[in-house]
Order: sequence, then C-alpha cells, then structure tokens
Amino acid sequence: MTNAVDIENVSLVFGGEGNNPVLAVDTINIAIPKGQFVAIVGPSGCGKTTVLNMLAGLIPPTAGSVQRNGKEVDGPSRDVGYMLARSALSPWRTALRNIEMGLQIHGVDKATRRERAHELISLLHLDGFENSYPSQLSQGMRQRVAIARTLAIDPDLWLMDEPFGALDAQTRLTVQGEFINLWERSGESSVIFVTHDLEEAVLLADRVIVMTARPGRIKSDTIIDLPRPRVIDELRFDDKFKEAEHRIWKELRDEII
Amino acid sequence: MKSSDTSSAEPSNDETDNSQIYASQSEGSESGRFDMSSIVEVPRWQRILKAIDLPVQFLRIGLLVLIIWAWESRWIFKGWSPFGFELFPEIIPLFQGVPSEAWDFILDIWDDSTFWADFWVTLQEALLGFVIGSGLGFIVGLLLGSFKKVAKVLSPFLIFTNAVPKIALAPILILWYGVDIASKVALATIIVFFIVQIPVQAAVSGVDPDLDVVATSMGATQFQKFRYVVIPGILGPLFGALRLSSIYSILAVVLGEFIVSKRGLGQRLLYETNNFGMGKAIALITILAGLALVFNAIIGMMERRFLRWQDTEARGKVVSL
Repeated sequence: MTNAVDIENVSLVFGGEGNNPVLAVDTINIAIPKGQFVAIVGPSGCGKTTVLNMLAGLIPPTAGSVQRNGKEVDGPSRDVGYMLARSALSPWRTALRNIEMGLQIHGVDKATRRERAHELISLLHLDGFENSYPSQLSQGMRQRVAIARTLAIDPDLWLMDEPFGALDAQTRLTVQGEFINLWERSGESSVIFVTHDLEEAVLLADRVIVMTARPGRIKSDTIIDLPRPRVIDELRFDDKFKEAEHRIWKELRDEII
Repeated sequence: MKSSDTSSAEPSNDETDNSQIYASQSEGSESGRFDMSSIVEVPRWQRILKAIDLPVQFLRIGLLVLIIWAWESRWIFKGWSPFGFELFPEIIPLFQGVPSEAWDFILDIWDDSTFWADFWVTLQEALLGFVIGSGLGFIVGLLLGSFKKVAKVLSPFLIFTNAVPKIALAPILILWYGVDIASKVALATIIVFFIVQIPVQAAVSGVDPDLDVVATSMGATQFQKFRYVVIPGILGPLFGALRLSSIYSILAVVLGEFIVSKRGLGQRLLYETNNFGMGKAIALITILAGLALVFNAIIGMMERRFLRWQDTEARGKVVSL
C-alpha cells in the first residue's frame, strides 16, 4: 500500500539570489502510512510550518521529493485540508458560510454544502451559532469553525498548524477532545499536526517527530503506543502517557534550551 | 429565570419560589445572585424619544430658521469690515438672491420642461461618469493591488496623472469629445477614477494574508480569490470611496458644463448668474446639492446592506464558550 505521505531528502532554502539565503529545512525524510496521526514538535522557526506548506502544495521544495499517495505534490489539492494557527475566518461570512467555503470553491452545490456544514456544526457543538459572524464568537468557537471548514471538504490528509495554540488551557482540552473524536471516527484520514506543545503532541498522536532548531532536521521519531480511542482529559494523568512525554522531552529540551 | 435558580432554593412550586428569591435579594442578597427580574425594560416610546434626541432637533431647527431669517432679511448682504478690512464685502442689490425667490423658482420648475431637460442631461452625465470612473477605478485598483509587478511598472505614470489638476484637462476634453455630454462624462470619469483606484489598491494589500493562504490551499482560482477573499475584504474602503465619488461626479460635470455646453444644470446656473437671476441660481445650487445627497444616500444604503457584518463587529457582542 502506498503511503499517505513520502518526504524524501527534502531541503528548503528561503530567499535565494543574493539576499542571504536561509536553510529552513535540511534533508528530512518522513514516511507516513495511511491513517496515521503524526505530531511534529520543535522550537519556533524550526521549519514545521514549512513542511506543511510543502505538503499543501503552497511552496515547492528546493531539493528532494514530496509525495502524497505516491504522487509528487505539484500544487494545492482538493484532498488536503489545511488549518492555520490563526483561525483565519472570513469576518464577513457567518459560521455556516465559513464552513462552506472550501466546498464552494470546489463547486459543490448549495444544498449539499449546506447539509454538510450543518452536520459539522452539530459535530463540533456549534448549534445555535450558525448565523453568527466570527466577531460574535469566542476564540474557542472560532477555532472550531476553522476545524469544521478544514474538514468540510472531506480531506484524506489533515494538515494542522498549531491549531489550538491560541486557546486557553480549559478550552484547548475541550477542543482537542472534539478533534480527536472526529479523527478517530474518520477512518483512513492521516494527520500531520504541528505544535510546540509536547503534551498535546503525545496526547493526540500515534507518532511524535521532534525537529531541531534552524535548520530543521529530524531529531527523533517516536511511536506513542497508547490505546485508542483516547479520552484525553483523563489520559493526561496516565503513567504511560507521562513516561512517553518525558522520554521525548529529553530530546526536545536540548533544542529549546 | 426561575427554574435556573432551583439550586439555591427548594425545588417547590415555581411561583412562590420566585417571589421569595426576589424578597431575600432586595434585603441584601444573601443568596449572592443577581435577580434578573429587577431589570425593567425601557418602554418603546422612551427609546424612540431618546433616538430622536429632541434638544438636538430643536437646536437644528432654530439654527435653520436663524440662517433663513438672516438671509431673507438681507442682513448677510450688508457686509462687515472689521478694522477697515473688507472681510465680507457689501453686496449690491442686483447680486443679491434670497430664499423666497429661490422658492418661487422651485415651485415653477414642475411645469418647466426645459428645466427637466437640463436636469436629465446633468443626471446622465454624473451617473455615467460615476459608473464608468468608479468601475474602472475599482478594476484597475484591484488588479494593481493584486499584481505587484504591474503596479511597480505603472505607479510613476499613475502618480503623475493623479497629480494633474484634472479640471485643467476640461478644455482639452471638450475639444476631443465635443460640447455634448461625452466631454463631461470624460471629465467626471477621470476625477472619479482616482478617487476609487487609490484606496482600492491600498485596501487589497490590507486584506488578511491568511485568508489568501486558506483559499489557495483549498485550490481556489485567481478569480475565486477575487470573489471570495479580496472583494469582500475591500468593501469598506470601496464604499467610502464611492460616497466621495458620488459627490465629485456632480462637481465634475457642473464644472464641465461651465466651460462649454448646450444643456445641463451647470450651464443653466451659469446663464442665470450671468443674467443676475440670483434667486434662480440659488435654487439651482440647492437642487444640485440635493442631487448629490440623494446619490450619497443610495450608496449609503448599499453600504449598510453589504457591510452588515461590520455592524456586529462594532457592537463587539462576544459569546463565551
């Protein structure tokens, strides 16, 4: 079976031709089988977001090959959902219409996309806020709308760039729980989840990749062998979880301090 | 209200329960809860009265009456020369026009077909100039804001053209486009173009770049990005520019008509003034101002409809998680 993602010997240099080229990503290799949830952690500026941008087809690698389902990535794809750190909702669209945006771009008819959006509204507990504008929603709700917008197009690869970084601790826990439920129910979708929060990475992912400070290289790649489905608000206090987090923390600490 | 308070009181029957809560709270609130029933809604007539704000209306009307009285009594024409400096010159009777004369003229207008012919000409010129000028300004601003390379090439040309006092082009435009409406439309178009193009171009750069990344990652075409991201993102500045344009398009065509024209309110205004028909001139100026206000109000209505979401933002009503 082909992998969901194959990143082979990929390097990326920013700002060539004269103005101080910066090596952002240095010869990384990541292979992700279908259906795996991978978290990438590392200090800020380590090229985590750059890896997502390459997978989303927004920027090409300077060297190496980035493949999805065995095919070279050559631009944005309808099967990839990309969620940014900031919710990046359209302020002029209601929650419902924000969720529909991807479907609208893909040319899905109004009745179908409305139905899909309503489905996500109830999955993410946004009932009653369909017609609210982003400015009327709390931070946590905005982030949920952004999740719904990312998933509305039924992507088989979810790229999440620090999606819960801006949330307060309690809200984050709730939204993380909702997110992991959605993924566990989605079947074959693969996730690449970028975060600087190691606890979050270990709670959610099947596998945690630690990247080094610039230039971004892969420092460690660890399988998190915790059972699923996960109840993350309880899992936090589990000894096996703590042990796994501690093991990876030792790797990460060298990069941060 | 009542049922949510059952945690503090015995869950007995609701009616008596509620009255108890009210009584205990009015004596210093031992339950430590705010009693929502103490909120009395302001009656509708009071809210309307507050919105109308009578003192302001009275002052406005008083001021208007004062202005019309000072004018009608010809007090304002007496002149005022403080310290021997002729700040307001004395106006000779021939050049004086008063509101009552203007009013008489306005009453006569309804049966005057030549007036309506002139009105129609000016309206047509202003509307065409507004539509063509703001349309082109919008498109060019959108393209230059989106394609930075093209903007870089064209910017010195645009800056120079904008620096030209556009009225100076009027005589040339009349030679090129003739004395009929085309030359006035051209003048209004040029003036309105820059009023719209410059803020639109600037606004495009101000659209949240994250929205562009999101749309791109969803596979949006350039056209879809314009439609779903850029255009909705610049509506605020666009409408501001359109309001200004609606007034400037009338200014432009009146000026154009002053220079050379066969028909139009500006032409008529010049004729009346040259023949000392001061009351008529004042009436015509008032009508032109009214026309500009109507234009502006129509744009304002469209603005409110398209930018309803900004209303909610201004109110900043935040719902908690």
